[in-house]
Amino acid sequence: MSTPTLGDYLRTRGVSRREFLKFCTTAASLMALPPSMVPRVAEALENARRPSVIWLPFQECTGCTESITRAHGATIESMIFEAISLDYQHTLQAAAGDAAEHAREKAMKDNWGKYLLVVDGSIPTANAGYGTIAGVSHLDMLKEAADGCAAVVAVGSCAAFGGIPQANPNPTGAVSVSDVVKDKPIINISGCPPIPVVITGVLMQYLTFGQVPELDALGRPKAFFGQNIHDRCYRRPFYERGQFAESFDDEGARQGWCLFKLGCKGPVTYNACATAKWNNGTSFPIEAGHGCIGCSEPRFWDKNGFYQPLSTGNWGSGKTLAAAAGAGVALGAASAALGRKRQKDVEAKQS
Amino acid sequence: MTTQTPGAAERDVNKDFPLELDEPRFSVKEPKIRYDMQGDLTDEERVATAMRNFVKDFGRTAAVYMESCIHCGMCAEACHFHEVTKDPKYTPIWKLEPFKQAYKREYGPFALFFRAFNLKAKVTHEQLAEWQHLLYDSCTVCGRCSLMCPMGIDIATLISQARHGMFHAGLVPHELYAVAERAKREGSPLGATPQVFEDRIDWLADDHEIEIPLDKDKAEVLCTMSSIEIMKYPDSVVATAKVMNHLGVDWTFRTDGYEATNFGLLSGNAAWQKQMTLKLIEAAVACGAKTLILPECGHAYMALRWMGAAMYGKPLPFRVLHMAEFLAENVREKRLKLKPVHKTVTFHDPCQVSRRGGAIEAPREVLKALGVELREMTPTKGTNWCCGGGGGVVAIHRADALRHKVFQIKMKQIEDTGAELPVTSCANCRQTFDDGQAHFKWDTTMHSLLELVADNLIEDEA
Amino acid sequence: MTLLDFARGPALQWSIAIFVLGILWRLVGVFFLRTKKDLSAPRNPAAWKGLRLIALRSWPRKEFLEGTAFGEVMGYTFHLGFLVALFFYVPHLLFFESLFEGIIGTDFAGIFGFSWPAAPTGVITFLSAISIAALVAVLIHRITNPVKRLISNFDDYLSWLLTIAPLATGMLAYAHAGGIRYETLLGMHILSAEALLVWFPFGKLIHAFTIFAARGSTGMIFERRGASL
Repeated sequence: MSTPTLGDYLRTRGVSRREFLKFCTTAASLMALPPSMVPRVAEALENARRPSVIWLPFQECTGCTESITRAHGATIESMIFEAISLDYQHTLQAAAGDAAEHAREKAMKDNWGKYLLVVDGSIPTANAGYGTIAGVSHLDMLKEAADGCAAVVAVGSCAAFGGIPQANPNPTGAVSVSDVVKDKPIINISGCPPIPVVITGVLMQYLTFGQVPELDALGRPKAFFGQNIHDRCYRRPFYERGQFAESFDDEGARQGWCLFKLGCKGPVTYNACATAKWNNGTSFPIEAGHGCIGCSEPRFWDKNGFYQPLSTGNWGSGKTLAAAAGAGVALGAASAALGRKRQKDVEAKQS
Repeated sequence: MTTQTPGAAERDVNKDFPLELDEPRFSVKEPKIRYDMQGDLTDEERVATAMRNFVKDFGRTAAVYMESCIHCGMCAEACHFHEVTKDPKYTPIWKLEPFKQAYKREYGPFALFFRAFNLKAKVTHEQLAEWQHLLYDSCTVCGRCSLMCPMGIDIATLISQARHGMFHAGLVPHELYAVAERAKREGSPLGATPQVFEDRIDWLADDHEIEIPLDKDKAEVLCTMSSIEIMKYPDSVVATAKVMNHLGVDWTFRTDGYEATNFGLLSGNAAWQKQMTLKLIEAAVACGAKTLILPECGHAYMALRWMGAAMYGKPLPFRVLHMAEFLAENVREKRLKLKPVHKTVTFHDPCQVSRRGGAIEAPREVLKALGVELREMTPTKGTNWCCGGGGGVVAIHRADALRHKVFQIKMKQIEDTGAELPVTSCANCRQTFDDGQAHFKWDTTMHSLLELVADNLIEDEA
Repeated sequence: MTLLDFARGPALQWSIAIFVLGILWRLVGVFFLRTKKDLSAPRNPAAWKGLRLIALRSWPRKEFLEGTAFGEVMGYTFHLGFLVALFFYVPHLLFFESLFEGIIGTDFAGIFGFSWPAAPTGVITFLSAISIAALVAVLIHRITNPVKRLISNFDDYLSWLLTIAPLATGMLAYAHAGGIRYETLLGMHILSAEALLVWFPFGKLIHAFTIFAARGSTGMIFERRGASL
């Protein structure tokens, strides 16, 4: 039995060729591909055999799933997503219990070496019992599933970097996918949660080119994580001019001035929020008046607070400085005493 | 080439270091063999002694200075020795380099680390010998550098302190050591012993038919002279008497305290400096003087007016005035009756009196009272150029060529004013000018303010 | 821990502590050395008036200006540019405010009634650039001028390097230069400032503090004597 192609699937859902091509154009431009590539994208998508996708959820809040499946009406994104042969996904699947596990094992066996492994949530290592699915620890399940996959997509900051479970004091010993899987290509799609179109864009790229897209130093697709929020932020001119909101309801805030002083981490956060935005391009946190919390960066939860400006480093405390000052004074007094003694000794020798 | 001074026991100071008193510049005769090293220390001992003795006299202020230099090199712009040679080694703060090292190693806050890790090189004997030239031949302690330094470092004072180290290490230039030792031994660097002084007083009093009191038991004012005046400009002795008598002052000279020069200060021997200063103080105390007048000399003013109380250990029980100040005071109080002098005059500021000492206006008040047309040099007053002979430099033969180069600055300054009569109030400046005049066959002679006043007193008919 | 985390964490704590300890050691070590009361009769008893030398010595007397004007102008250009960039660029300013608040307890505006003023980034960029240019000019002068070449030592060159490094790395970070990761550039910038802090107490940079003591001492001594200031 041949699985229907993505093109077949979309046609049965009533998507016109025109609409389909429009989508491909938009998708192509999102991936910064030239217009000439659009026919290739269209062809690839149309003929794409819906690949098997196995989604393993570990220490996650299901926020990533929620974000991706947030459909405002029947968007193409959500349809494509549904069109992929999602052979295992706790939130969306119909089956449960043994049946679900069977489906997973069969999909893995049938598509060994070819299936796409999507992971969200971090993996606990402190104790196998902290996270299990059907009695199998997250760690073991990941290792087994990774063995037969073509590539891993770590969705969300938890899977990509360890995320919130990894935050101080990290009681579960949470680690990221890349900490566990060493021999397969990994695409990190960080964000807490990631932007829906970023996920579909990455999948699109993979389906079209059969390859992992160009990744940055943290394994994130450069197409979406190549620029920081600060460089694309519409409030940047205010930063340059030195106009800042000092509190959340002052004149500056109302005027839409820069939120650097209120803790915005835009300058060191890489994501597409400032361009692609959220809810179909409606808005993003800064536009809504709150600074970026850097959720697509590793350990964003443990950096200095969300409301502490980026440049306020961890300089210690008044106590440590007082101690240093005290030590300095003591050493100074001692060296002066030593110097004076040497003088007296010379004088004594001479008299 | 420095050789060691014959030990004190073997030394006949008159034979080994004969005086030369028939040249424009009075000093020790130019030595055939220079004895620029004194004592029989080993080289290592010399260095160690120099370093230790430099910091012995250190205090907080000197330490602050040592910590503050930023190596900007601007002090070189102010120094006449650098000005005429453009040789960077004459940069004033560079003259202190070995002693900066000493400070950091011996006395600074991180001294322990400097020694433990050898962070500042240990000074070598060769370095110190080289530095003898920089500290003595090419520094008149004029203080222009101190006036320039953006950090406010009083480089000149530090040079004097560095000389303490050099003296203890036995690294004083031949002539300077010789005249300093002579001063300690005989009471005068140039042979004006108390007996010679007394004889001269007798001769001058007789020759000029003027009363010159000597060794009065009690007097309101104690006058002092410099050996340069006693031996080279005896007219100044007479002028002093003339002015004192004209003013009707109850004054005296004293053979137990007359020598105002202080070669302990110039050579760097703090003990001799103290001894020489105390002589003057004790003489003033002995005769109950309320005022001690210093002669026309530069460093004499610094030695007693500003450093004397420290030598004495308590405030001086009498006023100290430079002769120019004394004259100015009497001008102000209209006691000095002067004939007008219709000449154009320019005044050379003696560094230790003017820039370093603070008596800048006094000579000018006197010149004003003399009715001269005063044409100031450029620069003048506090920033005037040094004559090049102070700080002991004029005594050192091997420094002559350098000193003469410097003198060209003064010649130009004076010529630029077009004044007929250059006047100063320091006998050492005066002899430096005399020597320069002879060397360059210059047609201008330096004059003494005191002598100018004495020559133009309006005496009441008896 | 990334380079940036290190720079903004332990490196920051240690460098500030060493700065505070070292400065106090050096200043106290000098302050408690011997002083002698001046027993001479002052010409001007109000010696404190000599403290005006602290301001006065900020510009040379005209007699000395010819050979020193270049150094003075370049020096001020660099110092002012550096100080404005350091204290009035928003990210820096916020750091100092947090330091201020952390030590004193209330924020800057709470004490002074107005918030710490910030300069527009364009002004900072301009001043940083001319500051760097002035520093380069001064280095060239130090190497080519015979006086400075003779008297310069390791301290002079290291202090120069550690002073220009934060300016240069700051500008490179701001420009996201060479396609290098911004976090790396920022980390290097912060580390270079920390290197400056660590060296500060031990070399000639201490003049930032001793200049007041040196000028002040000379001012008072000379004022007392009526000597030229």
